[in-house]
Amino acid sequence: MIETFLLLLIVLPLISGVLSLILPRGWRGVCAVAASLANFLFAVYLFKKESIFVLPWAGFGIDFSLRLNHFSGFIILAASFFGLLISLYSLNFLKGKDSQRQFYTYLLISISFVNGAVLANNLVVLLFFWEALLLTQYGMIAIGGRQAFKTATKALIISGAADLCMMAGVILTGYLAKTLIISDISLSLNPLGSLAFILLAAGAISKAGSIPFHTWIPDAAEAAPLPFMAFFPAAIEKLLGIYFLARITLDIFKLNTNSMLSSLLMIIGALTILIAVMMALIQKDYKKLLSYHAISQVGYMILGIGTCLPAGIIGGIFHMINHALYKCGLFLTGGSVEKQTGTTDLAKLGGLSSSMPVTFICFLITAASISGVWPFNGFFSKELIYDAALERGKVFYLAAILGSFFTAASFLKLGHTAFLGKAGQKYKEAPVLMLIPMVILALTCVIFGVFNRLPINNFIQPILGAGAHGHDFSGMPDNFMLVIVTIIVLLAAFLHHFIAVRINGGAIKAAEHIHRAPVLSIIYLWAEKKYFDPYEMGIKLIDKIAKIFWRIDRGIDWVYGSLVTNLTFALSRTIHKIQAGYYIIYVIWSLAGAFLVILFVLR
Amino acid sequence: MRSLDFCLLADHKMKNELVLLLIIFIPVISALVLPFISRISAFLRNGFSFAVITLSFVLSFLLLPLALKNHTISIFKGFPLGFNFFLSADSLAVYMAIVASFISALIVLYSFDYIKHYENQNEYYSMVVLFLGAMMGLVFSANLILLYVFWEITAVTSWRLIGFFRKKEHILRADKAFLMTVFGSLLMLLGFIRIYQETGSFDLFTIKEAVKLHPISNLTIALILAGIFSKSATLPFHTWLPDAGVAPSPVTALLHAAVLVKIGVYVFARIFVATIPLAVFWQTVIPSIAGVSALISAGAALMETDLKRIIAYSTISQIGFIFLGFSVGNPVGTAGALLFILMHGLAKAGLFLCAGIVEQNAKTKDIRQLGGLIQTMPVTALSFLFCAFSVMSIPPFGGFFSKYMVISGALENGHLIISAVFLFGALLTILYLFRVFNMVFLGEIKNSAREGSFLMLLCVALFAALSLAGGIFIKYPNEIVQTITQQLFSLR
Repeated sequence: MIETFLLLLIVLPLISGVLSLILPRGWRGVCAVAASLANFLFAVYLFKKESIFVLPWAGFGIDFSLRLNHFSGFIILAASFFGLLISLYSLNFLKGKDSQRQFYTYLLISISFVNGAVLANNLVVLLFFWEALLLTQYGMIAIGGRQAFKTATKALIISGAADLCMMAGVILTGYLAKTLIISDISLSLNPLGSLAFILLAAGAISKAGSIPFHTWIPDAAEAAPLPFMAFFPAAIEKLLGIYFLARITLDIFKLNTNSMLSSLLMIIGALTILIAVMMALIQKDYKKLLSYHAISQVGYMILGIGTCLPAGIIGGIFHMINHALYKCGLFLTGGSVEKQTGTTDLAKLGGLSSSMPVTFICFLITAASISGVWPFNGFFSKELIYDAALERGKVFYLAAILGSFFTAASFLKLGHTAFLGKAGQKYKEAPVLMLIPMVILALTCVIFGVFNRLPINNFIQPILGAGAHGHDFSGMPDNFMLVIVTIIVLLAAFLHHFIAVRINGGAIKAAEHIHRAPVLSIIYLWAEKKYFDPYEMGIKLIDKIAKIFWRIDRGIDWVYGSLVTNLTFALSRTIHKIQAGYYIIYVIWSLAGAFLVILFVLR
Repeated sequence: MRSLDFCLLADHKMKNELVLLLIIFIPVISALVLPFISRISAFLRNGFSFAVITLSFVLSFLLLPLALKNHTISIFKGFPLGFNFFLSADSLAVYMAIVASFISALIVLYSFDYIKHYENQNEYYSMVVLFLGAMMGLVFSANLILLYVFWEITAVTSWRLIGFFRKKEHILRADKAFLMTVFGSLLMLLGFIRIYQETGSFDLFTIKEAVKLHPISNLTIALILAGIFSKSATLPFHTWLPDAGVAPSPVTALLHAAVLVKIGVYVFARIFVATIPLAVFWQTVIPSIAGVSALISAGAALMETDLKRIIAYSTISQIGFIFLGFSVGNPVGTAGALLFILMHGLAKAGLFLCAGIVEQNAKTKDIRQLGGLIQTMPVTALSFLFCAFSVMSIPPFGGFFSKYMVISGALENGHLIISAVFLFGALLTILYLFRVFNMVFLGEIKNSAREGSFLMLLCVALFAALSLAGGIFIKYPNEIVQTITQQLFSLR
């Protein structure tokens, strides 16, 4: 019975996705909502159940095997929740955008692939669904507009490169472990094992959107339809990436605090937090600013899991679900603003709080959550991560807390510019169908914060099992010093914002003094010229390599086309000259021949 | 023959032998009859060609259940000097025959509409059918000289087909293809003669027993490899393949996906996987050559601006993966290479046929002059994209599993660096295929071209759909491939 539902989780969204492509225009959205609702109900039914399902598939240890346990059930539940909200939201948002009607198809097929990847109990099955998401990701970005395919290609190539790393990791892991069944693998971190871990982790963190695999996300924020941003980079890619990162660090490799790889993860996490938040600070577009935060917040999750301490891991996974909630909510507020005003350019926005009060309140709650304000959910997960980061090293804690300062600063800037200040034009509030998902997300942020015992005890702590040592991580943080520092940092961000607005003249310019600071201004300039974009650099490098290869290829062709033919012609010309009809030459040839024959006979 | 067991299937023996002979000789004889049929009507000629190739496919399929049960059907007729007429249908041969005849049948169906605008159609159909007949003969040959004869028939037919348009430049290119492959095959013939000297036979079964006692010398192996590499367009004998892009698109599809290029790969499997196991030395050398070939041609594909040349370079690059899979000498790699032949055949045929539609309707092959064609030819664009995804090995398309298994096989042999090289090659594959797709089908419309005819679209859409189905229903091709691999490795 449960097995049937496991299969349905994959098959139903897939079929309804194809169906929504064929259905007449008005029915597509309905089909998507119905399918994602069914998917959500299945996930609710399956949560807290356990099951294993195996079908023979591609041989060589590649069976189509699915495994439902607490962790995968939780991720499925979360992903289906976001799937349902996004399809509801898109009903109104996509109305009138005819070119984007394929969106539902990609959305539903993505849900199917996500379910498959999360449930997979075989590394190749996981890779199969995981990499297949490249297709729907490409499709969803490409329908954003005429030129959106460029960003779609960029996203596909970056993710594709990371997925190839992951493929190598899967092969290496299978080779070392002599099995591909995830629940049976337990590897030590010897040199080859470490390489396998790094390759798998590259796939995981690239899906989550960490540096150096992040550069397509801000581009997609401009090009792709907004529900894509709320669904992919904000929600399910985080769920998938962090889920897999947790699986490899907890189950497959059992990373511990002494490992170099743990430090490596923490460094990547810390760098991601700081680099992305600094970029977010200077953005002047609602969606693009959010997209940099979608990168920056991954840093916290990777940092938390990288600490290899129970508090950090629980904090990291809790932050993952929290981030999905508030960032999805934030993108949806951005969508409302875009739908009602027709722009997300902060320079053209202002004073929306009076005309769009519900959107504004949702924004306030979700922005407070992402900034880590008590009692919203982001506060509790961040405190857990701070706690673990401080135990592993002050510098990591410093990076995390600095990230929080800038996060708060940039959301003060965003909220102040878009919702407060002088109202230019009068706009209507977004339609109810778009408000419902936003309100649900904002409410969940509050519930996960105020009653944080609920998610932590039900969803997250069981993942760690005995690893939590019976410690309960819900409730207020143990270390009260951390809370005080957090409050001070948030107050400082508040103060900084108001002084900056006063000095720089205008909310939108609140970060100008940082943008124009001596050394930083040059770095920002380089960043805007994409000097730090590994994709742009990589493409340039590959172009150079390709030119060399092209030369080699042409060189080989020249050998056949010119060298060999010319040599042949030269040879035939020489022979032609020799046989020019002169009597004396033939006599010489004959005598020489006769001489050789005699020599041969005499020998 | 001592090693062969004829009595097991005494009742069906005659029937199966007849089927085997029919698979080869129906197309070969039909090719000679076709010129007369075309005098009656063009429609009849087209239908007859398609029917003949389909018949080969169906008959090959009939042999499959038996071959999978490890019953080898053989026909032996002794001749002096070892020039025996020796056919044998084991699972590897039957699999290859099915793949080649199936893809060829679809390509012939496509060419009904493609080729009708041009002259010399009678010759075209004759040559294509003869080509397939020679391919079938080669696949089932169990004697090296017989194999060589069929090998050279394919060289002649491909020479006629590449120069189909009869322009001076095209004829030069056809000559180039002919000279380069024949140069290689003469070296291979030298290798065969040396095998005869070393083992006393041209029969593969006898050679197989003999090499268990005395391994074949490296020079012999190198000579045979030269022939294989020149036919399968591998560095440094590859440059004729991009030049062969002047041929009509169905012909290029045939060369790249179904017959010509796959011949070298097949003979490699036949000789070096099934008959003479490669020494460890060659298990490193051949993957290295294949790796260099895969990278150089992928780089060239990134620079090239001619649509068909890019896809041709892509073939050279992908062939490297097949050689890698076969040469590492373990079951995963071999199975991966066998799957690769199928998946790459389906996808590459689709790509070339799509390129044919673009070329015929847009009147150019230069990707800089093409753009935005998805607006006017959506079916072609989508089919191209699906086939490209399969070549890029992105799941759920079939190419994913074949590439995964090939690299898995390489890693199992401890080829860390070579695996990394091929993964880089896989990345380049994604880059150059997207470059083509974006330039030809997306962006601003530079060339308003109509969609192709229904029949042509049907064929490309079928190839696209099969590329997708190959991944989702990997279970079925995989069962066949796994049985073949088991048989190949248990017989050693």
